[in-house]
Amino acid sequence: MNYEFDWGVLLTYRGLLFTGLLITLKLTAISLVLSMLLGFSMGIFRTCPVAALRWLAGVYVEFFRNIPLIIQLFFWYFGFPVILPEAWASWLNRHHLEMIAAVVGLSTYTSAYIAEVVRAGIQSLPKGQWEAALSTGLGYLGAMRSVIMPQAVGIIIPPLTNQFLNLTKNSSLAMTIGVAELTFQSQAVEAQTFRGFEATFAATGIYLALSLIISGVTNALERVRPGTALKWKR
Amino acid sequence: METITANLSFLLSGFQLTLKLAGLAILFSFFLGTFLGVLRNSSRPYLSYPASIYIEVIRGTPLIMVIFWIFFLVPIIFSRPIEAFFSALISLTLFTSAYIAEIIRAGLRSVPQGQIESGRATGLNEAQVMLYIVLPQALRNMLPALVSQFIALFKDTSLAYIIGVVELTRAATIVNNREYRSFVIFGFVALLYFVCCYGLSLVARMLERRQARQMGGQRFADIIQQLT
Amino acid sequence: MRNFISLVVVLGLMLLGVSALGASRLDMVKKRQALIAGVKFDAPPFGFVDRRGRNVGFEIDLARYLAKRLGVKLKLVQVTSKTRILLLINGHVDLLIATMTHKRERDRVIDFSITYFLDGQKLLVKKNSRIKTTRDLAGRVVATVQGSTSERNIAKAQPKVRILTFQEYPMAFLALRQGKADAVTTDSTILLGLKKGDRNYEIVGDFFSSEPYGIGVPENDSKWRDYINFALMDWWDSGQYQRTYAKWFGPASDYRMDLTFEMEVWP
Repeated sequence: MNYEFDWGVLLTYRGLLFTGLLITLKLTAISLVLSMLLGFSMGIFRTCPVAALRWLAGVYVEFFRNIPLIIQLFFWYFGFPVILPEAWASWLNRHHLEMIAAVVGLSTYTSAYIAEVVRAGIQSLPKGQWEAALSTGLGYLGAMRSVIMPQAVGIIIPPLTNQFLNLTKNSSLAMTIGVAELTFQSQAVEAQTFRGFEATFAATGIYLALSLIISGVTNALERVRPGTALKWKR
Repeated sequence: METITANLSFLLSGFQLTLKLAGLAILFSFFLGTFLGVLRNSSRPYLSYPASIYIEVIRGTPLIMVIFWIFFLVPIIFSRPIEAFFSALISLTLFTSAYIAEIIRAGLRSVPQGQIESGRATGLNEAQVMLYIVLPQALRNMLPALVSQFIALFKDTSLAYIIGVVELTRAATIVNNREYRSFVIFGFVALLYFVCCYGLSLVARMLERRQARQMGGQRFADIIQQLT
Repeated sequence: MRNFISLVVVLGLMLLGVSALGASRLDMVKKRQALIAGVKFDAPPFGFVDRRGRNVGFEIDLARYLAKRLGVKLKLVQVTSKTRILLLINGHVDLLIATMTHKRERDRVIDFSITYFLDGQKLLVKKNSRIKTTRDLAGRVVATVQGSTSERNIAKAQPKVRILTFQEYPMAFLALRQGKADAVTTDSTILLGLKKGDRNYEIVGDFFSSEPYGIGVPENDSKWRDYINFALMDWWDSGQYQRTYAKWFGPASDYRMDLTFEMEVWP
């Protein structure tokens, strides 16, 4: 066996890695926004007084949390368009279906976890907060908006960051349905140079840097709102 | 449905490999993770620093990257072939241990300082206190979080697909590539995964409820679970 | 202390990758009593999994022939276009019989046997589609597989095409079936294998690349390569090649293709 490291390939193919990074960022950013919207809705549903909504949100969370992401991506890419009307399916096919499927898959998967974070955040507040808010004459929605959420948001920021980090890492699975993101491009470099270790090493470094930046930004956020994370970080 | 029955034995053999992979990875990552967690919690920097670096690097890396690493790196180091199954097993173990280590560390901190001091007072040394007093309590406190991590691991075994391990996901794609019934095949496989993971999550919830009673209603494990 | 030094030396040698000094794969295979062959599981009729879960195909039969000739057991390892070269370099497998074109670029890192199959790249399209040659692909979508030469050949033949890249061929065909792509491109025999008996699809155009398949063997191991080369020639001379070819590509098969290739047999 003979393996000589050749780090020069990374310089030669830096363009590929860079375009991959851009796609990873785009994929993560769009999915983050969507999964926050879905996740917050579902999390609030799970704690709301309407039993049907609680049940719906419960099913949603369990469904998306308990099936591997890769299977869900295959489903959105290969399985789902088949049952759509022909015209819709062909429109999707002309508009980067792989990217759309990846966004849908990542957003729903991540939103199930965010919903749990939001639920835990809301439920961690003392019952008295609800009672006090309602007794001032606020309705359910009013209490949620002006009393519960402002407090809950502070509590859930750290675990939310973790979900954000997970999303960034999970976006790597989009390569399996042909999205040319960072992992995909690192393997493309491998395919052209047979330098698998070097290519993988470089991509890992980029992911680590991304993780550090995200954690750093959140830490800064916590400093802006001091105390919010004390309960969480020991 | 005919598609499923005709290929059932092949799909189930894939499922069997998934169970084997998950079971072994759970076992190994539990021990390695506990070890790393104890190391990171240590007051000696030469023990805690390497553990911290390992844990943070792994937690900042996608699993798929760890799989590629092991796949490309292990043969370079040991200069001998290893099977894709073992490659996947090593990757899953190394990856999950970092997360388990964090759970264990949180668990260790949940044990009151007084317990440690009284343990030392009875004449036990540091290692004995850790082994007989702190760790058992930490593990019990963290059991729900650990089960949740094992659910994640169970789902993660599907990534072994990428390096050619014919576990459930790859078995499904092989069948799909022959039958072209994506909806039915992936639906069936999703159901199999769901039943296993949901079953495990019910166990986690039961443990958590029992814990909440013991710990006076605090959803401590829940909080930690979100953290890790 | 001496133990420590030797440990360091051994580790160093391992890292430098010279621990397998001198040993030929041939000796290793015989000592191990097993041949580990990297083959395709998803490329009918060369290497695929049949309905009963068995690995079959033209290349699988070739692997069986080699193992039998060596007098050892055969162990098949699935490789993909993306993983195969590294699997060989790393020593996961003893050889690759995996629809692999002998390319100069690849020959820099591994060695190849003589050609055992000659193929070229074509297009697989829906029947009666307007695509006849690579020229018609401008502005269209074509599906292929990461790590294969097809990806770069099509980009060269038609720069104005959008390429969808998958990890496996059947997924590329699935993309064509579902309308995600207008064509699949790769070696014509693989296209034949994907199409199978399906009359709704056809293979069009001329070869726009030449794809001589060779068995991949580790770099600079001429003892092993000689053994494989001689085995291939014997395979041809004994008439077994032609029989195996007829089994997979003959008139009665799903992948009918006449034998126009002749193996290079050394006197």
